[in-house]
Amino acid sequence: MATRQQADIRAFLGGGADEDRIAAAHFLVGAMFLVLGGLLEVLALFAMRFGGLSPMSLGRLEPMANLTLMIGFLVISLLGGVYYVLPRLTGAPLRSVAMARGGLVLLVALVLAGLGAMALGFGDGLQPLGLPWWLDLPLLLALSLPALNTMATIARREEKRTYVTLWFVMGGVTWLPLLFAAHIVGTLPFADSLTQTYSGLFFSAGFVTMWVFTVGTGLFYYTLVKETDVALASRQLAVAGFWSLGFAAVWWGVAQLVFGPGPGWVDAVAAALGLAFPIGALANASNVSLTLQGHWDRVADRPGVSSGVVGTFFGVVVAAMASLASFRAVGSVTALTSFWEAIEYACLLGVGPLLVAGVSFDALPRVTGRAMQSTDRARSFLRLTVIGVGGVLVTMGGAGIVSGYSWLAGSNSAAYVNAGDGWAAGASAADSLLLIAFAFAIIAFLGQLAYASAVIGTVTSGRAVPQEVLVYGADGKQGTWLVTVGDNPDE
Amino acid sequence: MSDLLAAAAAALGTPEALVKRSAEARASASGMTVDEVLAAWAGGGSVAGPAPGSAAVADEPATSGEASPAAVEPETPPVVIESPPVAPAAPPPPRSGPAPAGKPPVLVGEPDRPMTVLAGVVGLFVAVLLVGLVGPSIAGENPGARTSAISYSEAGLRGKDIYENLGCGSCHTQMVRPVVSDVGLGAVTLNDTNQVLGARRFGPDLSDVGTRLTDSQIEAIIIGLGDHPGAVLSSSDLDDLVAYLLESTTTAPGQGASPAEETTAETTDGGALP
Repeated sequence: MATRQQADIRAFLGGGADEDRIAAAHFLVGAMFLVLGGLLEVLALFAMRFGGLSPMSLGRLEPMANLTLMIGFLVISLLGGVYYVLPRLTGAPLRSVAMARGGLVLLVALVLAGLGAMALGFGDGLQPLGLPWWLDLPLLLALSLPALNTMATIARREEKRTYVTLWFVMGGVTWLPLLFAAHIVGTLPFADSLTQTYSGLFFSAGFVTMWVFTVGTGLFYYTLVKETDVALASRQLAVAGFWSLGFAAVWWGVAQLVFGPGPGWVDAVAAALGLAFPIGALANASNVSLTLQGHWDRVADRPGVSSGVVGTFFGVVVAAMASLASFRAVGSVTALTSFWEAIEYACLLGVGPLLVAGVSFDALPRVTGRAMQSTDRARSFLRLTVIGVGGVLVTMGGAGIVSGYSWLAGSNSAAYVNAGDGWAAGASAADSLLLIAFAFAIIAFLGQLAYASAVIGTVTSGRAVPQEVLVYGADGKQGTWLVTVGDNPDE
Repeated sequence: MSDLLAAAAAALGTPEALVKRSAEARASASGMTVDEVLAAWAGGGSVAGPAPGSAAVADEPATSGEASPAAVEPETPPVVIESPPVAPAAPPPPRSGPAPAGKPPVLVGEPDRPMTVLAGVVGLFVAVLLVGLVGPSIAGENPGARTSAISYSEAGLRGKDIYENLGCGSCHTQMVRPVVSDVGLGAVTLNDTNQVLGARRFGPDLSDVGTRLTDSQIEAIIIGLGDHPGAVLSSSDLDDLVAYLLESTTTAPGQGASPAEETTAETTDGGALP
C-alpha cells in the first residue's frame, strides 16, 4: 500500500500540465499555512482574553497570524486557483511557469522569514503584517510576479471572449501589489503616525475586499458553473459586484479611526462609500442564488460548491456588519473594540477559507486525477467553520459592543475615567464573551485541520479518477485543449 | 515505443508524460494501439477522436479562438483545434467532477477588451488611494491653538521604537477622541501627533499615561503586573520604554490644553461630540 501511495505521489509530481502542478502545489502549501495561521490565531485570542503568553504577547502573535493567513494561506491558495483557471479561460499556456514556481518559493520563504523575524523581535510592530522593512520589498516583488504572469498570459490569449472570472482575477492580481506598495510607502520612517495608522487599515481592508472577496468570488463563479453545469445567471450582476468590491475596497478600514485625529470628512465619506461593500457582496450572492435556482440539489453532494455558496453568503453578513459599523453613530460604540477584530477574523478565517475551498475542492481532482479523499472531511470543514467562525463573529463582536457601551455608560459618571479601575470594570464586562469566542476559535481551528487534511489527503492518496489534462498545440499558439483522461492503473 | 514517444513529444512540443497518457487515452477510445497513435502524432498526422461534443470536452469552456460558445450555437462543436492530440473522455469523477456531459458549455464569455478593464482597475485604485489614504494623511489646517506633537528625548525616541517593535499598538491606543467615552483621558489628539495611534483598545489608552502613573508603576506593568503580558527587556530598553510613556503627556504645560479646554475648542471648531 505504501509503495503504491509513493508511486501515486510521484505520478502526481511528474504528471499533468505544468500549470496544474503549480496550482496543486499552491493549494497544498496554502493548506499547511492555514493550519499554522489558525493555530497562531487561537493563541492570539488566548492572549487577548488571558493577557498573553510572555514573551509572545498579542502584539507579536497577531501580526504573525496575519502574515501566515493573509500571505501564506489566502494569497498562495487563491493564486493556485488563478493558475488553475487562467489556461482554461484564455486558451493559452501560462506565460511563465518558472515565474509561478519561483513566486511560490519566494512567498513561502518570505512568510517563514517574517515569522522568524517577528518571533525574534525584529518586526516593526505595525499592523497588519508587522514585517521588518527588509522583507517588504521582496514581498512586493513576490506579489507582483503573479500580476505580470497573469497579464502576459491574458495578452496572449486565444479565447477572445472573456468570462467574468477573468475580470475578477485581473482586478485582484493587479490590486494586490498596488495595495502593498501603498502600504509600504505609508509606513516608511518619514511617514507621520496618522499616515502609518491609516496605511495599515487601508491595506487590511483593501486586502480583504480587493483580494479575498474579489478573487475568491471570481474563482467561485468558474467552479460553480463547471460543477453544477448551469450557466451563470447574470453577467451584469457579476460585473456590478466586481466594480462595487473595488470601489468599496478601503472604506471600512479607514472608518475604524472614526472620531480620530484624521479629517472629519473621512468619516462621512467612508460611511457613504462603504455601502458599496455589502452591495458588491450582495450582488455576487444574488448571482449565485439565481444561478442555482432550481438546481439546489446539485449543491449538497459537492463540497466545493457548498463551501463557495456558504462563503458567498457569509461575505454578505460580514460586509453588512463592516458597513454598519462605519457609520459614526455605530462607530461611537464599536470603534477601537473587538467588534472590528471579529470582522477581520471572519474575513480571514471564514469567508476566505470557504471561498478558497470553493475552488480548491473542485480543482484538485481535475489537476491531480484524484477524487477528494474524504468528502466527510470536506463537509466537516464547512460545518466547523460555520459554527466556529460564526460563533467568534457573534461573541467577539458582542464583546466589542459590550466594551463600547461600558465605556460610554461609565462616562456618565462625573468621576469616571476610562483608565485604571474604570478601564478594568469596563473590560471585565466583556471577558465572558471573549472566553466563549476563544472556545469557538478552537472549533474553527478543527475545521481548518479538516480542510488541510482533505487537501493533503487528496493529493497524496485520493482515489484515482479521470484527470483533466491541458494539452498544448505544437506551436504553442493553437490554444489549450482540455481533455479528460483516466490514466491511473488503479482505475 | 520510447522512440515513438520521444518523437511524438518533440513533434508536439509536449512533455513525454503528457503525450503518453494522452496517447493511451486516445488509443483506448479509438481502438488503435498506443504505438499507432504515437506514430501518427510523430509524423504530424492525426487520429480520429470521438464525436465532437460527445464527451467531457463539451463540458469545458470554449478555449480556442475559433470556438463559438455553444450557448449561442449549441450545434457547434465547442473546441476546434486542428493538430494537437485529443484524448477522449472517461466518465467524469463521481462526486467532484462535472455534471453529466453532452450539454453545451456553460462558461460563456463575451467579447471585450481586458486591457480596458485593466485600465479601469488601475484608475479605480488610484482614485481610492487618493481619497482613502493620501487625503486623510495630509495634515489639515492647524488651528494654531496647540499641537499634539511631543518633543521626545533621545531615550523617549528609542522607547518609541521599542513600543512599536513589541507591538504595544496592537492593544493600546495613544489617541484621545472627542467622544464621551474618552473624557478624562487627556487632550484630544490632533492630526500632528507623533504618538503611536493604534486602532484597537484591548488595553487602556496610553496617550497621557505619564500623568496617571509613576515610572515605577509603569515599569511594573510592563514586566508583567496583573494580566499584562510580561515583556522581556534589558534594563536600558526598559528605561527607554518607560521614558517614552512618561513623556507621552499631552497635557504637559505648554504642550496641550486641559480636557475641558480641549472639548470647548473642538466644539467651537465644529468638531463633533456624540
